[in-house]
Amino acid sequence: MIEANHVEKSFGSRENVYPVLKGIDVKIQDGEFVVILGASGSGKSTFLNVISGLERPDGGSVLYDGLDITKLSDRLLTAFRKETVGFIFQQYYLLPNLTVDKNVRMGADLASNRVYRQIIDAVGLSDKLHKYPGELSGGEQQRVSVARALAKQPKTLFLDEPTGALDEQTGRQLLDYLCKLHDEYRFTVVMVTHNQNIAEMADTVIRMNSGKIIESYANAAKKTAYEIGW
Amino acid sequence: MVVGIKDSVKLAGISIVSCCAVFVCTLFLNYNIDLPAIKGRITTEAGMAMFDAQVLTGKVVVCVTGCCLVLTSAVMLLFYVKNYIDAHGKELGILKALGYSELKIARHFWVFGVSVLTGCAIGFAAAFLYLPDFYELQNEAGLFPELPVQFHPLLAFFLIVAPAMVFAVLSVLYAYGKLTKPVLDLLREKREYNLKYKKESTKELSFLQDLRRNTVRSKKSLVFFVTFLSFCFSAMVQMSTSMKDLSSEAMGFLIFAIGIILAFMTLFLSLSSVVKGNTKTIAMMKVFGYENTACGRAVFSGYRPFSYLGFALGTVYQYVLLKLTVSVLFKDIENLPEYRFDYKVCAITFVVFILVYEMVMYSYARQIRKLSVKHVMMES
Ligand SMILES: Nc1ncnc2c1ncn2[C@@H]1O[C@H](COP(=O)(O)OP(=O)(O)OP(=O)(O)O)[C@@H](O)[C@H]1O
Ligand SMILES: [Mg+2]
Repeated sequence: MIEANHVEKSFGSRENVYPVLKGIDVKIQDGEFVVILGASGSGKSTFLNVISGLERPDGGSVLYDGLDITKLSDRLLTAFRKETVGFIFQQYYLLPNLTVDKNVRMGADLASNRVYRQIIDAVGLSDKLHKYPGELSGGEQQRVSVARALAKQPKTLFLDEPTGALDEQTGRQLLDYLCKLHDEYRFTVVMVTHNQNIAEMADTVIRMNSGKIIESYANAAKKTAYEIGW
Repeated sequence: MVVGIKDSVKLAGISIVSCCAVFVCTLFLNYNIDLPAIKGRITTEAGMAMFDAQVLTGKVVVCVTGCCLVLTSAVMLLFYVKNYIDAHGKELGILKALGYSELKIARHFWVFGVSVLTGCAIGFAAAFLYLPDFYELQNEAGLFPELPVQFHPLLAFFLIVAPAMVFAVLSVLYAYGKLTKPVLDLLREKREYNLKYKKESTKELSFLQDLRRNTVRSKKSLVFFVTFLSFCFSAMVQMSTSMKDLSSEAMGFLIFAIGIILAFMTLFLSLSSVVKGNTKTIAMMKVFGYENTACGRAVFSGYRPFSYLGFALGTVYQYVLLKLTVSVLFKDIENLPEYRFDYKVCAITFVVFILVYEMVMYSYARQIRKLSVKHVMMES
């Protein structure tokens, strides 16, 4: 279980402090599919970075099964990320000099995952194994980054607007893959998105506005990637 | 707009190298120009022999160090321009996409000549201040009559203005050549090496192994640099100890100092550009949970064999060069000690080299630790 208690974060210099997260409390159960919604600039990405251990909050705590990751040393935090979390970013951040195969292997090697090719199959890229990111379309690149994150067999997967740069069809495809894999492996998913419709696929929806949670509810019936509007 | 004076400040490395080059060249050239004035007034035979020897040494030193340093600064400058274009590919690509012509963008790269100008001017000035002492040093034995220091405007032009102009033009041309790439290639992140490696089987390599190979291959100019810096270090340091026997203490020290400065400049420049060129990769690896040491090893250790290669080449080079100098140029000069390869110096230099190299590598590996993931993400 992931538990965020009164998480605070601000940016800027001492005279010019700009609070971005103003005390956020969240509980996420293992295997849950959570979507975070909110206007641009409301602090969604910042919150995602904080609960995933990429950034330290100024106040509050983030507990993974009781372990407070905000108190970990850099080395332990790295080890924590290695074992627990996977990331998918809006801008993919693939390594341009390595093939699809090796990019995915970046995640796989960390978990000593020998069967990572299955995941490449699952995202439908087995015929692009030896291509370089520059030779792929945006959607394909995003799928590589999904495969890379999943090959690591994370307990929790964080996604920051994974469909932001994709068209409707590739976006739906990607979400569909994601749901299938989620059903199969039952990892926790925390996804940030602009798209209200995507929220209908989640177990829980969290709505943020200017650094606070203004609404949080559970979906009675989840929809699939092809049932939601776009 | 594209590049400004600000960017040329970052070229301190080039300034330092050109400063060294001009310093040495000014000393010996100025001396060699002034020296003939007293030729008629030398009366002793020993004086004449000394005169000939010094004219020759001057030529050799100017050729060796001058050429070496000019080459280095040229390579460094082009390397920097290339890095600049690679790093700012997006902005330049957008400018090009907006309709700026290549020449219009490339034109701005003349500012890189400024750093050469600064370096050369400082080198020339420093040399001029040192010249009176240098003249005295050359005439330690008191074999020549008094030789006053004279200023030669033409020499100043060729050592300050001319190199700056040449380098300015060189940067513009190089930038122009680089910018003729299609807009999309500038905008997109393209891998930098040829497709020919693609056929090779990399299936069995792990991610880290493949990354290590790729880091080396994707920036070949860096391989050259690392080899070159070890070459300089090895050749210059070993040569300086031999020079002490063959000519003067001061000369030995000069060459030694230049070798060290050169080696450090190139080492610093190449390693920082390795780090810079791989920040995204390193940041991404850290996000995934790779340890700092793993990141450092993957990025740096591929260069180690090349540094050893450079060291070996430098050793051979200095041996051949000194052997030739002694047997061809100095053959008429009597009681010159015979030149032999000095194993002890070679061994000591090698140990020092390894120590310095590994220390710099280590400190850069520590820098990786400070790289923040967020910082890199905000950039793009
Ligand atoms: N490193 C930083 N330094 C200063 N301010 C920052 C930094 N990171 C984020 N901010 C500020 O924090 C606020 C929230 O940023 P954040 O990226 O979390 O928003 P977001 O909800 O993800 O928005 P979007 O939907 O546009 O991605 C913004 O106003 C931004 O300007
Ligand atoms: Mg965001």
